[in-house]
Amino acid sequence: MANLGILWIVLLPLFGAIINGMAGRFTSKRVVSVIAVGSVIGSFFLALNVFFDLTDLRAAGSEANLTFDLWRWFELSVPTVHGVTEVPVDVRFVVDELSSVMLLVITGIGSLIHIYSLGYMHDDDGFARYFAYLNLFMASMLILVLASSFPVMFVGWEGVGLCSYLLIGYWYETPAYAAAGRKAFIANRIGDFGVIVGMLALMMVSGSFEFEAINAAAPGMQRPFTLGGAEIGTFATVAGLFIFLGCTGKSAQVPLFVWLPDAMAGPTPVSALIHAATMVTAGVYLCCRISPVLLESSVVLSTIAIVGTLTALIAATIAVVQKEMKKILAYSTVSQLGFMFAAVGVGAFAAGFFHVFTHAFFKACLFLGAGSVMHAVGAHGDANILKLGGMKDRMKVTRWTFLIATAAIAGFPLTAGFFSKDELLFGAASVAMGDVLIPQWVGWFVLVGLFLAATMTAFYMYRLYYLTFTGDYRSAEKAEGGDDHAHDEDEDDAHDDDHDDAHDDAHGHDDHGHGDHGYRPRPKESEISMTFPLMVLAFGALVVGFLGMPHALHLPNWWGGWMSGSMGNLPGMGPHDHVENMTPVYVAMGLGLLAFFIGCGVATVKYRDKNEDTFTTALPKKLYAFLFDKWRFDEFYGATILRFNRGLAVLAGRIDQSFVDALLTKAPAWIAMRLGWLFTRIQVGVVHAYGLVLVVGMFGVGWWFLYPHANVEIDSVGAESANLTVGRGLGYEFRFDLDGDGNFDVPDQPSRVFIDLADDITNQEAMRVVALVRAAIAPTEWPSDRSGLGALIDREHKVYEMAPPTEALPDLRLALERAERVDEVRWENAGEAFGTQTNAELRFDAEDYQGFALVVGVLRGEPDEYELGHEPLLLDESRLGPGWSRAQEDEEEIPVAIWINEDGEVVVKPNSGAVRYRGEAMEEEFTIAAGEAAFFGRAPIRVAPIVETVVEVRNAFGNVDRETIAITLNPAPEATATNSQGARTATQAAARLAEVTR
Amino acid sequence: MVDLNAYLTLASLLFGIGAIGFLVRRNALIQLMSIELMLNSVNIVLVAVNRLHVDNHVGQIFSFFVIAIAAAEAAVGLAILIALFRLHKSVDTDTADTLKH
Repeated sequence: MANLGILWIVLLPLFGAIINGMAGRFTSKRVVSVIAVGSVIGSFFLALNVFFDLTDLRAAGSEANLTFDLWRWFELSVPTVHGVTEVPVDVRFVVDELSSVMLLVITGIGSLIHIYSLGYMHDDDGFARYFAYLNLFMASMLILVLASSFPVMFVGWEGVGLCSYLLIGYWYETPAYAAAGRKAFIANRIGDFGVIVGMLALMMVSGSFEFEAINAAAPGMQRPFTLGGAEIGTFATVAGLFIFLGCTGKSAQVPLFVWLPDAMAGPTPVSALIHAATMVTAGVYLCCRISPVLLESSVVLSTIAIVGTLTALIAATIAVVQKEMKKILAYSTVSQLGFMFAAVGVGAFAAGFFHVFTHAFFKACLFLGAGSVMHAVGAHGDANILKLGGMKDRMKVTRWTFLIATAAIAGFPLTAGFFSKDELLFGAASVAMGDVLIPQWVGWFVLVGLFLAATMTAFYMYRLYYLTFTGDYRSAEKAEGGDDHAHDEDEDDAHDDDHDDAHDDAHGHDDHGHGDHGYRPRPKESEISMTFPLMVLAFGALVVGFLGMPHALHLPNWWGGWMSGSMGNLPGMGPHDHVENMTPVYVAMGLGLLAFFIGCGVATVKYRDKNEDTFTTALPKKLYAFLFDKWRFDEFYGATILRFNRGLAVLAGRIDQSFVDALLTKAPAWIAMRLGWLFTRIQVGVVHAYGLVLVVGMFGVGWWFLYPHANVEIDSVGAESANLTVGRGLGYEFRFDLDGDGNFDVPDQPSRVFIDLADDITNQEAMRVVALVRAAIAPTEWPSDRSGLGALIDREHKVYEMAPPTEALPDLRLALERAERVDEVRWENAGEAFGTQTNAELRFDAEDYQGFALVVGVLRGEPDEYELGHEPLLLDESRLGPGWSRAQEDEEEIPVAIWINEDGEVVVKPNSGAVRYRGEAMEEEFTIAAGEAAFFGRAPIRVAPIVETVVEVRNAFGNVDRETIAITLNPAPEATATNSQGARTATQAAARLAEVTR
Repeated sequence: MVDLNAYLTLASLLFGIGAIGFLVRRNALIQLMSIELMLNSVNIVLVAVNRLHVDNHVGQIFSFFVIAIAAAEAAVGLAILIALFRLHKSVDTDTADTLKH
C-alpha cells in the first residue's frame, strides 16, 4: 500500500507504549530500552523517508500531499449554514510541508530525548512506565500533526494532554507533583472546550472537518455569526477566538500559562520534550494549520498578537528573578511561545513556525543541559542556581552545549535564535510600518514588546549560565550548604513565610535523600547517553537558523519557500515577495542585535564569576516578590475561581449531608425498619398458627384452580383483521365469538349447512346455489373460481343441504350467490363447543363494526384514541405533535373541533385563530370518511372502526370465564384510496358509521 | 368393583382427620402422624383415579414418590423431635418458640 510508512510512523511508538506499558515491568531494563528507543528511532527514519518523498514530489512540480486513509470514523448529520449536511469524519493522515517538518522535529528530538532518558532515568523504579508514557506521547503527538481533520487531530491533542498529565505527575508519591499534573490537565480542559466550539463553528461554514476544506472555505468565514438573534461577529472571528482559547491552554499563554511552570515537576527529559520542544508548540502548529481562516479576521490576529506579546513580556519578567534552573527555563519557554504567537498574530506564520523549529533545538538542549547538571549534583526536582556555580570545569560538554544554546536563545548573531527572532521582529515591523489587515498600533506594540522581552531573555539566560557554570561551586563543602541556605532566606525575606516553606518542602522531596539542602560535593560529567543528545542539539542550535535567512536581504530562505505550500500569508509578506521598504528589515535586525547586546552585556557585568545574585535582588522588594510569584496569577485564580468552586463544593456537601444523607437515606431506612417490625408480629412462633396459614393458603389455591381465568391479548390489528391469543391454563378450553354477533365461532367443522330458498322461486326455475364456507378462525381468501361448486336445485327440493367443502375450515361465514333468492341459512354443527386452539384470526366486515374511534398518532409513542360523536371533540395542540402551536399562550379558544356530521362524515375543523402549524394558521376545514386516514399537519389522524370480540374459557370443572374486548381496527392510510378492496371497505365503513351513530 | 366415590370419600375423611389432628394436637409426635395420614390420603386418590386411565400409570408411580418423600420427612421430623426433646424435656410444640423474634 502506498505511503504505508506514514501509518508506521505512528504505530511504532504506539506499539512501543503498549508493549512497555503491559509487559515492561516483567522484563529487564535492557528490553524496555531497546523497544522504547528503537521504536522512536525507527519512527524517525520513516519520517525522514516520508519527508524526502515529499521533497521529491515537490521537485517534480506536484502540489499533492502524501496521504494515508485508514477508515471512516463516523458520519454526522448536522445543521450547517448550507442546511443539514452529512459530514463524514475519516481517519486519514496527511503529510504536507507543515506536518513533514513537525514530524522530523518530533521524532528527531524525541529520539535524542529518549536516548538521554536512558541515562537520566536509569536508576528510577518506574523505568518501563516512564518509557511507556513517553512512547504514548510520541504516538499522540504524531497523530496530532498527521491528522487531516479536526476530530482526529483532537484525539492527538487530548492524547498529548493525557501523557503530559501522566508525566508531570510521574513521581506521584509527592502530593505537590500530582497536584501539578492535575493543574496542567484542568488548565488544558478550559482550552479544549474552545477547540471544540471553534471546530464546530468552522464546520458549520465549510461543511467539513477536514483542514483542507476548511481552509478552502476560508473566504466564506466572513459570514456573520449570530447568537440568539444578535450578530456578534463573523464566523472567522468567533471560530478563531475559540480555537485560540484552546491554544492558550495547550501552549501556555496568558491567562492559562500557570500550569507550565508547575509542570517542571516531571522528569527533566519530559520538560524538554513535551513542555518545551513539541506539545506546547501544538497551539502554534494549529494556528498555522488554519492560517487562511485566521487571515480572515483582523480581530483574531490582533488578539493573538497582543496576547502573545503580553505572554512574552510577563513570562520574561518572571524568569529574570527565578532561582531554579528549570523554573527559569519554564518561564523562558512560556515567553518564547509568546514570541511565536506574536508572530502568528502579525500574520508571519512561517516566521512563527520557524521559531517553533529553532526553539525546539536550543530549548531542548537547555533543558537537557539543566538535567545533566541536576543529575550530576543529585537534584531530581529542580536545582537552585545559587547553590551551584563553577560547573564549567567539572562538566565540560554540558557547559559548552549549554553556552551554545544560551547564545542561540539570546540571539547571538548567526545562531538559530538570531535568525528566527529576526524573522519575528521583521513581521512585527512590517505590520507597524506597513498597511495591512492588522492595525499599525498592534505592530508597534508587538515590536516594542518583543524587543523588551528579547532583551530580558538575553539577560536571564546569561544570568542562568553564569550563576550555574562560572564562579565557585557553592555546594562543594557540606558546611557551606547551611550558609547558602542563610542566603536564601535573606533574599526571600520579601516573601511571606508560607511561600518559603513550600519551597523548602519541595527541596526535601527533590533531593531523594542526597542530604538536606546541599548537593553532591563533587559532581562529575554525565554519561555518554546524556551528553550525546546535548551535542547533537547544540549543533542544531548553531546551524538550523541558516534554513531561514532573511530573504529581504536576498539570502536564500529555504524555510519560507517550503512552508508557503501549507500556510497563508499577508500580502507583501510572502516568502518570495519583493520587499520594497527596507526600513522594517533594518529595524528588526537592529532591535534584535541591540536586545542581545544589552541583555548579554548587563548579565556579563553583573554575574560573570560572581557567587551571589546581587542584581535582581536589588529590585524593590515588593516588585521582586510580585515577579517571583509570577504576578500572583495563582493567587488571583485561587481567590476568584477556586474560591468560588470551593464554596460550591461546600454547599453541595452541606446539601448532601443535610438532605441526601439525612432525609433520603434515613427516611427509607426508618420505613423499612418499621415494616420489618410489623412483619415480625406474624411470626408468633406457634407451629399451629403456621399450619393454619398453610391450610388457608391451600384452600385459596384450590379456589383459584376451580375457576378459569381468561387472559386475551391482541397480537396484531390490521385494516380488516385482527389476531388474538388467549393465555393457556390447566385443562382450559376456549371458544370465540370473534365478530361479536352472539354466535360462537366454533372451531370444529359444521356437519351440515341448510339453505332455505325463497318462496318466489318458480316451479320451472332451477338455480345453482353455491355455498362458500370460510373459517372464522384462520380464514382463507374467498375462492375466485366457483364453477363446479354447489348444486342445481329447484322448487321441489326447496332446501339445499350440503356438507361444507373440506378445504374450507369451520365456518361460519357463508357467501351465497344470488342471495336474494335465499330465505335463510343455518347450519348444524357440534354445538357451541369449546376447543383447544388458543389463537384466532378474524376478518371483519363492515356489519361487525360496533362503533368508531378517532385515532390521533404523533410521530413517536402510542397514538391517542378518542370517542367520536355528534358533540364536537376538542383537541389542543399538545395532542397533535411537533410543529403545532397556539397563536397566544393564554388563548381560551377551542383549537380543533372534530365531530360527525349528518352525512356520517367526520369533520375536522381547525380554529384558525387559535392553532397554528409551523407558524401558519390552519384555515381549511376538511372531512374524513370512516375507515380513512388523513394527515393533519404532521399528525396522522384516522377514523378507525371498533369491533367487539368475546372469548370464553372453560376449565376441567366446567366453570366458564368470559372476556369481552374491543379492538380498534387500524386502517392503513394507503388502503383507503388506492385499491378497490380498500375503497370498498371504506364505503361499507362509511355506511356503517351512519348506521351506528344514528 | 368399588365405586370411585367411595375411595374419594375415604381419602377426604382421612385428609380431614389428618388436617384437624395436625392443627389441634400439641404433641409433635402426633402431628407427624397426622401429616403421614394426609399424605396417604393423597396416595389413595392418586391410585384410585388412576384406575380410570387404563394405559396410564402416572398416578400409581407418583404415589411411590409420595411414600419415599414421606419416609424422608419422617426421618428428618423424628430427628428434630429428638433434638427438641433433649432441649425442652418435652415434645409439646407450644414450647418450641425459641426462634421467635
